[in-house]
This record gives sequence, C-alpha cells and structure tokens, in this order.
Amino acid sequence: MDDLTREFLIESQEGLDRMERCLTELEERPQDKGLLAEIFRSVHTIKGTTGFLGYKRLEKLAHAGENLLGHLRDGRVMATAEVITALLKLLDGLRDLLKTIESEGSEGTADDDELIVRLEGLQAPARQAKAKSAVRAQLASEADTVLDTTEAAAQAAEAAVAEPKVAVAEPARVPVAAVSPPEPEFTEAQADAATLTPAEASRARAQGAAAESTLRVDVALLNRLMNLVGELVLTRNQVLQATASDPNMTLLSRRLDMVTADLRESVMKARMQPVSNVFSKMPRLVRDLTHVLGRRARLQMEGQETELDKSLLEAIKDPLTHAVRNALDHGIEPPAARAAAGKDPEGTLVLRAAQEGSHVVIEVSDDGAGIAAEKIRAKAIERGLVSAERAAQLGERELLQMIFLPGFSTAAQVTNVSGRGVGMDVVRTNVERIGGKVEIDARVGKGTTLRMRIPLTLAIIPALIVRSIGQSFALPQGALSELVHIPPERAAAAIEWMEGAPLYRLRGRLLPLVFLDRLLMPGHECRLSSERDNFIAVLDADGRRFGLIVDSLADPEEIVVKPLSAVLKDIGLFSGATVLGNGDLALILDPGSIAVKTGVTMSNEEDAAQAAEDESESDAARMRYLLVEVADRQAAVPLGDVLRIEQLPLSRIEYIGYRPVLNFEGQLLPVEDSGGILGAAAGNSETQIVVVVCRDGNRHVGIAVSHVLDVTSGGNLFEAGTGARTEGVTLLKERVTGVVDLGGVPPLPATGHTSESWQPAAEAMA
Amino acid sequence: MSAGGKGAHRKQKNEALVEICSVRVGKSLFGVPIQHILEIVGSTRPRPIPLAPGFVGGLVHYRGDVLTTVSLRSLLELPALEGAQDILVLESATGCFGLLVDAVGEVLTVDAVDYEPNPSTLDERRRALLAGAYKLKDSLLVMLDPERLDPARLGEAKAA
Repeated sequence: MDDLTREFLIESQEGLDRMERCLTELEERPQDKGLLAEIFRSVHTIKGTTGFLGYKRLEKLAHAGENLLGHLRDGRVMATAEVITALLKLLDGLRDLLKTIESEGSEGTADDDELIVRLEGLQAPARQAKAKSAVRAQLASEADTVLDTTEAAAQAAEAAVAEPKVAVAEPARVPVAAVSPPEPEFTEAQADAATLTPAEASRARAQGAAAESTLRVDVALLNRLMNLVGELVLTRNQVLQATASDPNMTLLSRRLDMVTADLRESVMKARMQPVSNVFSKMPRLVRDLTHVLGRRARLQMEGQETELDKSLLEAIKDPLTHAVRNALDHGIEPPAARAAAGKDPEGTLVLRAAQEGSHVVIEVSDDGAGIAAEKIRAKAIERGLVSAERAAQLGERELLQMIFLPGFSTAAQVTNVSGRGVGMDVVRTNVERIGGKVEIDARVGKGTTLRMRIPLTLAIIPALIVRSIGQSFALPQGALSELVHIPPERAAAAIEWMEGAPLYRLRGRLLPLVFLDRLLMPGHECRLSSERDNFIAVLDADGRRFGLIVDSLADPEEIVVKPLSAVLKDIGLFSGATVLGNGDLALILDPGSIAVKTGVTMSNEEDAAQAAEDESESDAARMRYLLVEVADRQAAVPLGDVLRIEQLPLSRIEYIGYRPVLNFEGQLLPVEDSGGILGAAAGNSETQIVVVVCRDGNRHVGIAVSHVLDVTSGGNLFEAGTGARTEGVTLLKERVTGVVDLGGVPPLPATGHTSESWQPAAEAMA
Repeated sequence: MSAGGKGAHRKQKNEALVEICSVRVGKSLFGVPIQHILEIVGSTRPRPIPLAPGFVGGLVHYRGDVLTTVSLRSLLELPALEGAQDILVLESATGCFGLLVDAVGEVLTVDAVDYEPNPSTLDERRRALLAGAYKLKDSLLVMLDPERLDPARLGEAKAA
C-alpha cells in the first residue's frame, strides 16, 4: 500500500470517528448547523480524495451520503431518527469499505445500491412520500430494529432493493437532479466555507495550526522506544548502585538519573491517549442498544481528557463495551418499571475516568435496579459455582464479586445483548490481563457501579525488593499496604497459632500469615528468627489480606517487568522477572496468586462491614478519630485536629507551676495529662512519652497518651428517650469512647487565651 | 579428521557436511547443529527458580530479556555443578531459551554419512531427548535436538 492511500485511510478513519460523535449529538440537537457542517466535511473529504485515488465504489457511496447531508444542511430535510439511522448505516458502510481497502488493497465487489437507494429516498421532499411509501415502510421498519445483523441487511436488500431500484428509485432520483444540479467541486467547497460562522472558521484554522505542530508516529517505533527506555532505566539503576560510593561520580550519576526519568516520562507521554478515544464510541453503542432493548438512557461522560497508555486503551475497549451493555441490559430497567418505582423513566449511565496516582480509574455506573446479593447467592448455588454451605458464609461484598466468575449471569432471560454469562467474566479477564482490577458495587434499587483500576503503564512498576531463601524478590507496591517490623526479641511471641495456621494480631485484628521461605521451599520451618529482624509485608490482593513474612527488606525500586516463559508462569507464584540495579535477577511475586495458592480468601464479613463503614465515612455525621490509650482507657481525638504525634523523653517536659508544658524553640505548648502518665513516669527522665499535638481553634495543645492505637471512623450515639445526638462520646469499633475535649485544656497562665497571641505559634508549628 | 582418503570422499559430496557445535556435560560430548544457535554466553550463574520443574536451570539476563534455561545436567540426571557454566542460546518454535552445559567446545565439521539414529537399547527417557549420533574417529558425538529441549515442550511432557 502506498503512503498516499495509507494517509487517506488514517484521515478518513479520523473523519468518520468525528462524524459518529457528531451524529449522536445531532439527534439531540437536530438544528445544530455546526454539527451538520462537520459531518458534511467528513463525508465530503472522503468523497474528494477517493475520486482522486480512483475508488469508485467508495466515491459513489460517499456521494449519495453527501447529497443527503446537503439537503439536511439546507434545511430541506429534517434530521429525524430515521435519517440519522440511515446516516449511521452510511458510516458503517464507509468504514467497512475502508477496512476492505486496508486489508485487500481494493474495494471489493459487494453492492451498496440498497444503502444508496435508501439515502436517496430520504432526501426527497415530503410530497414525494406517497410514491415511495413502499420503500419508506420497509426502511422505517428496518430503522426500528436498528442493529445491523448481516441477515437483516441481506433481507432488506432482497425485499426492498430489487424492485424499487427500477420502480421507485428512479422517480426519487429525478427531483434530486431538479432541485440541486450536480455541483462542481469548488462550489461545494464554497458552500462548505459559507456555512461556517466566523467562530468555526477560526477553530478550523486553529486545528490546521495544530496539525502542523504534530506528527504521526508508527506505534511499533514507540514500542521500540519504550523498550529502549526500559533498558536505560535498568542501566541507570546499575550505574547508580555502582557509583554510589564514588563522590566524583555522584554529580554525573545524578544527572543521568534525572535525564533518564525525564526521558522515560516523555516517551510514556508520547504513548498516552485521552480516554475520549474509547469513550467516543459509546454514545453510538448506547443509542443502538437502547433501541434494541427498549430502554431510555442518558449517557454522561466525565474525565474524557484523562490519558492512558495506548496499548492499555485498546485493551479496555472490550471490557468497557461489555460493561455498558450490561448496565443497559441488566442495570437500567425498562421505562415503565422505572416509572412504577418512582424514578425518572430515562435512566442515567455515567462513564467516568480519573487518574489516581499511578492508576486510572474508569467507572461505569447506572441508576438502575442494582443487584440483590440474595439473587447472586441463589444463582451461584444453582450454577454449582459454590456449595450451599459456603454460600451461606459469604458476605455481600464477596457475593457481588461472584458475578465475575465464568458462567455467571443473573439476567432472567438470555437476550441478544447480554445474559449468556460471558460478559463480566470477559471484563475481569481482560482487565486483569493488563494488571488492572475490577470491582463492582451495587445497591438494590439505586444502581450499580463497575470500577476498573488500570495501571498507567505496563512496562515499569514501582516495587519493594524483599529477600528470602537468600534470593531477591520484587513485591509490587500496588498490593503492599504496610510493613510490620518484628525485632528479634519479639520474634518468639509475635505470631499466634491456630491449629497450625500462623496469625498476627495487627491493631487488634487477626491477619493470616504466609511464610515466603516455606512457600518457596516446602519443608522449610515456619518460625521467626530470633537472631535477626523479621518483616511482615501486609498485602491486599483483590480484597484478600494477608501478611507475607520475608527475611529482610532492600530498597524500593522501579522495575522493568520482563515476561516469564510459560513453564515458569505455570508455577503460579510469579508474574514476571526483572533485572535489579545491582544486576541481579529478581522474580516478581504475584500477591493475588500467592493468596489463592495458600488459601487466603477474601476478607470476612467483619472486614466487609469495615469496608462499608470506610466507604460511607464521607457522610457528614461520621468522623475519623485517632484512637489513643490513656492509662488503660481508650479515648478518641478528632483526626482533623491532630497536627502531629511527638515521641520525646520525659526530660523535655517542663513545668510552669504545676502545669506541664513543652518548649519547642521558644514556643510553649500546654500539655494535658489527665491520665497521670507524666506523673507515673516521673522517676526516670529518659522514659519516652508520646504527645499528640492538636489544634484547638487557633492555639495548639498537647495531650500525653500511653499509646496511639489506630485511626478509625466513629459512629453516632443518641441519648435514649430524647434521641438527641450525644456530645463528647462516639462509637469506635463498637465501643463507646470518650472524645478528648481540647477546649477544656486550660490556657497557659501568661497568655490569657487570646487567639492573637497564639497566632504566631500556630504558624511556626504547623 | 584429516585422513586423506576421507577428505577426498568429502570433497565429492560437499553438501553432506554439517557443522556441529560440541558441548561437554560430565564426561560425554554432545552436539547441537550450529544453525539453531543464536549465541553462546560464557560463564554464567543462572538465578535459581524456586518450585520450578527440575529441568529448569534458572534464569539469565540476556540482551535485555530474561531467558529461561534448561539444564542438560539435570535432564541427564547428573548431579548439579557448582560454579559458572556456559549457555547456548537456542531458538525454538515458542521463542528463545538457554541450554546450560558444563562447557562449550569447538565447532566440528562432520559428514552426514557418519550419522546413525538412536540405538534401540537406549532407555526411553534419553531417547526422547537425543537425536542419534555422529561417529567420530575415536568417540561418539551425541546429537541434541533443540526442539525436544524446548522448556515449553519439556513442561508439557512432564505434565502429561
């Protein structure tokens, strides 16, 4: 294929994508001249170029479409649903032709007459309607069914085209010729320009300028660049490690580090495309599906400018399509059912994209019927996906995730669109293949939200390097929630055993443990070493929480992921390998597989409840508290008021009279010691004490505590009888807990508690 | 291999000459046709893989990629060797892999007429790995078939 044709194909595809977007918008705003001009321009450009390249079939089809569009633009034909359906058909026809040209180098020999007749039929003025009623009826009925199965098209071709071609199409063609004589190219171009408002013209110029400063680059070249950059990152890591001890090289290697990071970012950026490239296909899909399914839905799209690596964008196209289908088929109810439930008969489907750290989150949410957990339970048992006993133990969150299992569908009826039980399975497989995660959230009667977390890039991920059985392993940071250090002296008592299952008490909750050495070398003894430090990496793999015990931790590193051969992938614990900065090879641990292999299941009901609690914390009534222990008693400090937590020797505490204070470089902080902690420790001036520094209005106060326990959400308590919200206490972890009254801390004698005098102190310490 | 009579014989059927890279494992000499060899990497220490099937010799870093190696020693049920070993990078249908051997020797030019298939007395497991032998003047050059050493294939055989 020559360059000219390739260029033409790319440009035409872009034009058609634009046309598709405009067509769906046109349906909502049929009078919008700008949209019509845009569509006209796309088709006109294709027609112009094809004539030049000699694609007769394409030219003929584009010409028929252009004529209809010309009528639309001049206001002689209204943009009815029927016309738009026909234009969408034209779009599909043109796309198919372009595809054929791309794959075969020629246009093929199929016949477009049916579509051409249909397009021509639509441009006739209304008074011609009678003569073409037969065709119209046929077309209208076809327009109702919309989705183009090839059978429908074939039938239509047989039924409608064969005869009208001689009988009806002819008279239809005559008035066209009479109304608009064949226009020479330049007048069309003029007409095109004439319809442009000044604003549009300037926009067109701006687009032209943008075209000059951009350049098309082959994806293969970008991939090659990305691989080379990956190699460079690797070499940089090695250089950095090799030169760490040489002061002469420090400056150079730091520069290398910076340039590499910059280069990597730029190359990654070059591969980024806005999600609108995929989102823009959705309005058409929604339009077609709502017709077929008899639903009414409004599509809202947010965060279209969010960017994602091109290969990942390609990979989410299918899952996203599935998710939208599902939302329309299973989620949003038929208009009558919605009206009966007191909802707007028109449902809302929201596509939302946003970047969160090194991930892009894409949400598909509908305001439909939601999913009843009980229905899933029943279905899962019926399909034999889970035993009845096991199903009874599952929490709502776990049940919801079951719809991602292969062979699961809750649709009462298998429809053409979905319900064959492949959709959600495909969604999960595709998303997980690119290192993403899917989760579903549903409230009965309120709607369903499908959330896909997609990594920004595939090739390079941040990881923590850990060591076990004398080797290095990379642990993806994405799954790592925290690290627990167990010093040798605590090793013996740190782990609790329950019939052979090791557990660790993490802030009061039991965490199942996995010994990495035992996992990798069966037969290895399960115990913590009392000669050296031990570490627990607390991992969260798709809701499966567990602690992985490793021998030691090395540095976090940005690693370049290299695929493993099939034989090693089959081991099922490693997701890849990487070359570390020191040149060593390290296997990348796959937390999800480790969880599955060691039988760690998704968090139990208590955790689900906890998660639900966490989620609803945005409710104004719920507040986050720092849970502290003050002399064997638990107390809560509103987290928003906590500035920092200080650990210091008792000797730092000074007294003004009987009032304990802390001297921070001349700034005095009153310390509240209601628990008598300072008094109890008075004997030894080296005892470490913990002071929570809080904000109270404009002043700062310190609170002496024994331990800081946790951060958690509080629940409201109400006075029995009156139902009034109680002040000063809150429900933390199902226990009534007193909230520390910061205002009750008496002011320092000298300040007289004037906010002005505290102002500078507040700034200095904040 | 420069016996006069044989040399004349060779000149007549020049196309029947094959070049074989010889490798040593334990006391035996093995051969791999050189057209299957992408590269020879000397003295490497592959990184062992926990839980991998026995025939996997570990991973090595090769040209920016991570290469799975097959240990000829463990395939032949010989004890593992301490220290560095050589690797032949071979190409197979499923991609590249490394063949871990004690040492790579010289490239030998042998005559196709000196080839003989596996003897029927060879035990079954070895018969699956070896592809006949060339008769050298004073020893046998046992041929290895890269296709049969492909880790993907060995993995399947093990699973079956």
